[in-house]
Amino acid sequence: MENQNHEKEISFTFNGKRIKGIEGQPIAAALMANGIRAIRTCTVTGEPRGIYCGIGHCYECRATVNQKRNIRTCLKCLEENMDIKSE
Amino acid sequence: MKVDVAIVGAGPAGLIASIELAKNGMKVVVIDEYYRSGGRLLGQLYEDTKSEKKRMWDGKEIANHLMDEALSLGVQILCKTTVWKIESNCLFISNSEIKEIHSKAIILATGAIEKALPIPGWQKVGVIAVGAAQTFTNLHRVKIGNRVLFVGIDPLSISVAMEMKKAGIHVVGMMLPAPSLMTGEKSNPQDVLEQLLMVAHMAPNYFFRIAGKLVKGKIKKLIVNLLKFNLIQIMGIPLYFRKAVTQINGQREVESVSVSNLSTNGELSRIETKLEVDTVCLSGGLLPLVDLTQVANCILVDIPELGGIVPLHNKYLKTSVEGIYVAGNITGIEGAKVAMAQGKLAAFSLLYDFKIVSEQQLQMAFNEVDIARKSSPISFLPNIKIGRKIMEEKWKAYSIPIGEK
Repeated sequence: MENQNHEKEISFTFNGKRIKGIEGQPIAAALMANGIRAIRTCTVTGEPRGIYCGIGHCYECRATVNQKRNIRTCLKCLEENMDIKSE
Repeated sequence: MKVDVAIVGAGPAGLIASIELAKNGMKVVVIDEYYRSGGRLLGQLYEDTKSEKKRMWDGKEIANHLMDEALSLGVQILCKTTVWKIESNCLFISNSEIKEIHSKAIILATGAIEKALPIPGWQKVGVIAVGAAQTFTNLHRVKIGNRVLFVGIDPLSISVAMEMKKAGIHVVGMMLPAPSLMTGEKSNPQDVLEQLLMVAHMAPNYFFRIAGKLVKGKIKKLIVNLLKFNLIQIMGIPLYFRKAVTQINGQREVESVSVSNLSTNGELSRIETKLEVDTVCLSGGLLPLVDLTQVANCILVDIPELGGIVPLHNKYLKTSVEGIYVAGNITGIEGAKVAMAQGKLAAFSLLYDFKIVSEQQLQMAFNEVDIARKSSPISFLPNIKIGRKIMEEKWKAYSIPIGEK
């Protein structure tokens, strides 16, 4: 489905839950549009982590995308049926 | 892959450089880490107070226009690609098909990164760097929060706060970071306001324009007097020069910040209050992104007036390494208009060395940088011109052989 800005709405999953986003936008933006700000869990403190720098430098927003670990969600563009999981 | 010129960074400087080079028959590739070209232009959307024709500076539209022009001239743009090494005119890149790019010359236009502003709790979900906040608001058009507080008051954070307010997000105000070893003058109300007023000709607001003129008249006392006003507002956004955030609180995500008053000299009061917010934008200022010049063995110099450590270069943007040029924020923190003019200058400098343009043409490109500086709606650093002078002197000292000194 295309909206008035010629953006195509597609669906993907985050931690098993099916949600919608705009094709080609960074994954992090699609998650935020769905009200999801906590993307992964810090392995040291157990605290949640989310977007910080937005340009791929801080690595805070990484997630597993289609079984591939450590993908920076601020840089990776959203595709139909992407399977995104917290790390 | 073989090209005449490889440009790193598809922002305003890199794109303009690619266009000028392609117009003069050069085979050019532009490489960028981000998923699309445009660089910091992408997030910019504000009123251009210095332009007579066009009132809005729509960075995304400008970026699209530049990208179309570059592509129509045959420029190749490689996005989602990182340059991780440069060695004797060869760039090593993170691309599954193309591993190396061999070029006769290189322009590094990598821009800037944000300085960290570490205050307790800054790792929490809901704390976001101001540049990211800008991109999410203006480019992705996503609401980053419901009650947003800015920490760090500077030209960039003020313009982002205004953009966010225009986008319909509740900006509860702007404060300073609590004093620490990391924050320095960013926590001193007098320093912050003085720095701001020195660049106030960009003036998003009438109050600042008037105050800016007075400070230019060296009425320093005025700053202290201004700080006595508890409510300075821009577009309805309160700027609290006398309040500092000491801590960001929240269980899973940001829930509140702890705030203490600051004296005009930057001393922190012991009394703390809590302010409920769900999002904190941190603004620690910009830092030229010089990593690749370092890898390429360019000489670096520390010039705080330009924003920190920058590659040594002459006034035509040549570095100490033959065949490597620089343009844009990598040379010092300035606005997009200056970056664009520098992109053209770097291209002409290179074309002059390849004997394609005349000295007169090079000089004209040089003069355009100053014109761009004068017509910039936003300045970031108050002593940028002094910084440029210092760089010229450092280049002279470097380029004149020891025996001739």
